[in-house]
Amino acid sequence: MQRTRREILLNAGRGFGAMALTAMLKGASAGHVNPLAPKPPHTAARAKSVIYLFMHGGASHVDTFDPKPELTRRSGQPISAEQVKGLKTSFIHDPSKALLRGSPWKFQPHGKSGIEVSELYHNVGERIDDIAVIRSCFGDAFDHAPAIYLRNSGSQLPGRPCLGSWVIYGLGSENENLPAFVVMSDGSTKSGPQGYSAGFLPTVYQGTVFRGGVNPILNLATPAGVSAEQQKQTLSFIDQLDREHLATRGEDSTLEARIASYELAYKMQSSAPEAVDITKETGATKKLYGIGETRTDDFGRKCLLARRLVERGVRFIQIYAGTNTGDDWDNAHTDLVGSHNLMCGKTDKPIAALLTDLKGRGLLESTLVIWGGEFGRTPLSQGLNGRDHHPYGFSMWMAGGGVKGGQVIGATDEFGLRAVEDAFDAHDVNATILRLMGMDHLKLTHLYQGREQRLTDVHGEHEFTNKLIGS
Amino acid sequence: MWRLGILAYFSTLILSADDALSLRAVAVLKANCSGCHGDSAAMSGLRLSSLDEMLKGGTRGPAIIPGDAKQSRLYLAVTRAAEPAMPPGKTIEAGDIEIVRQWIDAGAQWPEAKASSWWSFQKPRRVAVPELMSAWVRTPVDAFILAKLNEKGLKAAAEADRFTLIRRATFDLHGLPPTAEEARAFINDASPDAYEKLVDRLLMSPRYGEKWGRHWLDLVRYGDTAGFEQDPYILEAWRYRDWVINALNSDKPYDRFVKEQVAGDELYPDDADAKSGTGMYCVGPNRDMLFKVEDQNRVEVLTDYVDTTSSVFLGLTVGCARCHDHKFDPIPQRDYYRMRAIFEPAVKTRVFLEYNEARGYDLAENRREIKLRQIGEELSRIQAPYRKELLEKKLATAPGELREAFLTDGAKRTPAQVEMVSGAAGRTYRVSDDEIRAALSQADAERLHAIEKRLVSMFAGYKPPPMSPGITDIGPESPKTYIAPRGNWQMRGDVVGPGFLSVLGGGDVPVEPPPDAVTTLRRKALAEWIASPNNALTARVMVNRVWQGHFGRGLVGTPSDYGVRGEAPSHPEFLDWLANEFVAQGWSLKKLHRTIMLSSVYRQSSVGGSPRDPQNLYLSHYNRRRLQSEEIRDSMLAGAGVLNLKMGGIPVVPPLDDDELYGIIGNPSDAWVVTADKTEHTRRGVYLISRRAFRSPMQEVFDSPDGNAPCPRRESSTIAPQSLTLLNGRFTIEQSKTLADALWRKPPAERIADAWQQVLARAPSDSESHAATEFLAAQAKTTGSQQAALAELVRGLFNLNEFLYVD
Repeated sequence: MQRTRREILLNAGRGFGAMALTAMLKGASAGHVNPLAPKPPHTAARAKSVIYLFMHGGASHVDTFDPKPELTRRSGQPISAEQVKGLKTSFIHDPSKALLRGSPWKFQPHGKSGIEVSELYHNVGERIDDIAVIRSCFGDAFDHAPAIYLRNSGSQLPGRPCLGSWVIYGLGSENENLPAFVVMSDGSTKSGPQGYSAGFLPTVYQGTVFRGGVNPILNLATPAGVSAEQQKQTLSFIDQLDREHLATRGEDSTLEARIASYELAYKMQSSAPEAVDITKETGATKKLYGIGETRTDDFGRKCLLARRLVERGVRFIQIYAGTNTGDDWDNAHTDLVGSHNLMCGKTDKPIAALLTDLKGRGLLESTLVIWGGEFGRTPLSQGLNGRDHHPYGFSMWMAGGGVKGGQVIGATDEFGLRAVEDAFDAHDVNATILRLMGMDHLKLTHLYQGREQRLTDVHGEHEFTNKLIGS
Repeated sequence: MWRLGILAYFSTLILSADDALSLRAVAVLKANCSGCHGDSAAMSGLRLSSLDEMLKGGTRGPAIIPGDAKQSRLYLAVTRAAEPAMPPGKTIEAGDIEIVRQWIDAGAQWPEAKASSWWSFQKPRRVAVPELMSAWVRTPVDAFILAKLNEKGLKAAAEADRFTLIRRATFDLHGLPPTAEEARAFINDASPDAYEKLVDRLLMSPRYGEKWGRHWLDLVRYGDTAGFEQDPYILEAWRYRDWVINALNSDKPYDRFVKEQVAGDELYPDDADAKSGTGMYCVGPNRDMLFKVEDQNRVEVLTDYVDTTSSVFLGLTVGCARCHDHKFDPIPQRDYYRMRAIFEPAVKTRVFLEYNEARGYDLAENRREIKLRQIGEELSRIQAPYRKELLEKKLATAPGELREAFLTDGAKRTPAQVEMVSGAAGRTYRVSDDEIRAALSQADAERLHAIEKRLVSMFAGYKPPPMSPGITDIGPESPKTYIAPRGNWQMRGDVVGPGFLSVLGGGDVPVEPPPDAVTTLRRKALAEWIASPNNALTARVMVNRVWQGHFGRGLVGTPSDYGVRGEAPSHPEFLDWLANEFVAQGWSLKKLHRTIMLSSVYRQSSVGGSPRDPQNLYLSHYNRRRLQSEEIRDSMLAGAGVLNLKMGGIPVVPPLDDDELYGIIGNPSDAWVVTADKTEHTRRGVYLISRRAFRSPMQEVFDSPDGNAPCPRRESSTIAPQSLTLLNGRFTIEQSKTLADALWRKPPAERIADAWQQVLARAPSDSESHAATEFLAAQAKTTGSQQAALAELVRGLFNLNEFLYVD
């Protein structure tokens, strides 16, 4: 005799976690579609995952990846009013009265390509043959929050979905037991959580913050004072009553999806701690990332974690280096030397390790690693030991994900003031990242407020994928 | 999502008249092709600007063969099935191509009417109520709905049981569950008008304004802070929130409600309460505080005014016309700037709610400033010698140049010295207030203490006079408005004067106000134009919003888009009838709720449905819905028995763990100042602070809007973090313990039944009692504590679908 739907539902309730819910859902009405189910890209994807290293607060380009001998030569000299016309700064009162300031650090050629990188990033420099340096980024937002929104979401105003959200909206996830879009930060950012928000896309595309510790996701841990056994009993109880409730209400894919979401939450409670458990990594790996060394331990863990997440099919990982309540690139306002020694010291070794490790495991080809921030810093001096915000020409770099390393794209002028060759704005960069993921930024759209909205809004016409992949 | 989007297209296509299809198809072609094949250009000799032109075609032959898309060059080109693939460099979206295909296959009728004859731009028609012989028809609402059900071959569901009805009605009007007693009373009420009495009782309660006020606040992108890097408080934004709640509770007629928000200052200059309606324009995001971009900020503020006004009241997305003529709707760029000209003279202001208190406010403020400055100087004088002495002690071991920098008078320091003193190098040598305090002599300590006492008495009970944020004009003359070519605000095109959207009848606003006017009266004209029965959209848009609030989906599925890209109404005649009825009933929202809720449609069971109408567009059953984030929170507090129903006032900041505050801008101790009075923490969600740059975990995972743009309908997602939050979050744990403690004081035999009554407002079934008994025993065995087991039971109940969904 055929069992009734009611019987199936009620029987399924016996033993939480024992049953394959996907099977139940497939057997039920097909109304509820998992919004994070993997979706095919528009075109062949070069990168499957992204690790975006976001240098929060603004890292100086002329002290890291954009050597400017002329700036060094004329250090301490005034600049003509003509050259700084239209430049908006945050703290430098009048750019035309500020003095040029050369980099206090030395640049050296690295790798076969001989690309010059500052001594601040000498470890990353050793990986330069895997890296394409883009020296010609620019934007028009010179304060942090608008600039972070702009780089991440294509608008200076908050409320639009960020890159990571668009990526998982377009491609879905390959691991349903972990979030598809993970954010790691040093805590408070100048943009707040809206920097990694899904904006007008559904909440499911929001970035999930990973914190330190065994349970990286908020409310992942069983509450204090509740044992694992109790938790399982409570979940079984909820499951049982939910199934009885469902059985009296006909088919409802939403109710079923919610029952399944408890199962998923339960699975996450074991898969997320496993993903962040680095104790099984070898001593050599940990050493490579600088784990155990005071300066690099924290960022090293984040980078290693990023690799582990990529291995587990997480689509998009964004790591912020810097915070507005502690160590930050932005301390360069008053202390360029101290802030950049510190922030590069924290990030150099772990980033180099990440590239080495990904490559060694054969993951670099399918993982796009991006280094960048909301803007660079003025080649002009703020006070005697500072640099101000500077969006008019600055550097980013990309590696892996099909990017041809050992090349420099674009250039700023002799002082590093403005992008003058192959200038790319935030939209161009984002369109390019989407393309490397196999998506056409013109086709990745969402209807909102009567318009098919895009990450690149009405821009992104200077996508530069071909330059990056060297074809 | 894509799939859903396309589905939505299909459904409206089936629904709408041929004209709608033609309009859409032509709009798609205009948007994608007119640059090269339009009025101004005819590449390859082809224009797509009329049917004749399309049939004539270009050098390659006719563009379309009516009735046969697959043989039409145009279709082959846009599907990229044949060369030349069009448009070059981009692909038209699948949904839009589908529209073109259907249009060609259907015979390629050229839209006889222009877009300006689109249904929503015509005044609602006078419609007769369908005459149907059916016992099901209680009200005219039912007649319209049943007529459509009959037409579609669908059957209405049975009436919901009384428990379901009271729970539904209470959540719909109050955002709260009924209490067990209320439910019992209603179930046992044998009077024939028991249900009518229920609806009336619910409408009379102030809980109504709190629930529907929240809908309105979503719509007007309300927030207590302004967003961006500083996320500063908006001056007394909550006064506007309270104004909305009060307006709804007093059933302020909707036309008046609109007028006060758009132009309370110009229409009712002597009525402070009416003027505070203009607070609507102050509670959105802004970055006024960012320096050096004032001109750009001004443009953004005005853009927000225009976009919010048109989307909230008119259901139109005029934003596209900021940069160019609207591609789909008949809204030329000129119209956009005519509307902006209405707001051009508007500036933010404070509305003093009580004249006498307000009169002294600025004077007192000045006096306080002077006093504070004196106190500051006095403090410095006391501290100075100690600071000097302590510094010298510290500097004894410092490098020479650092020592010199510190000892140089502040004003005389070189930039390098300033750097040293304020930078990292100087950190260890700077003297802290605490160090000074520890070193003070007895006499100086007393002087300091006296100052502290003065400060305390100055600020004890300190509060600003009642004032509300608002806008008014800078004067009777307005700055000029220029069309910004391609939306570039730095460029100046033609000057335009204030006026209304031409598609809705147009008309200019007089530029010369009367000689005694203190403002331009432009917004007064706009308010009267919007809040008029002659405006084709105003009443329709609002009745649809209310309908959506009750059924989860509006008669128009795109509640803030009535343009050509919006969805056509599922029940066009009914929408018009309801809009007319709304106006005829004096724009009363409460009467509108009543009209809707007394219908048989509203009283249907949520069990039902037909594969022929998977989205339930025709309402053959009630749409089950998930509670919104505030409703979840408020229901838990009500279940735990601790909901504080105090109304109004400054926003409550509830306690959150550091983990929950993760990522908030700045130091949590500054950015999240928890309300001192603990009883405030259990007030309704609408009174909790809504920071623009930070949402609490509950708000975030349960789809609360972010306040950056008007939110006409919340998402209702189902994601694992919701389960984690409800299951393991601090809030659930606290409320579970609270209720468990109360239950613990009851006789053991009553606990399970009481738990059900508190959380679900009903008695448990036998099998539920049995399951709960078993559960408690198993839990008690695991934990060794009956009381802890009870808390687990409550936690379980708070996580049930029955708790989270309204049938």
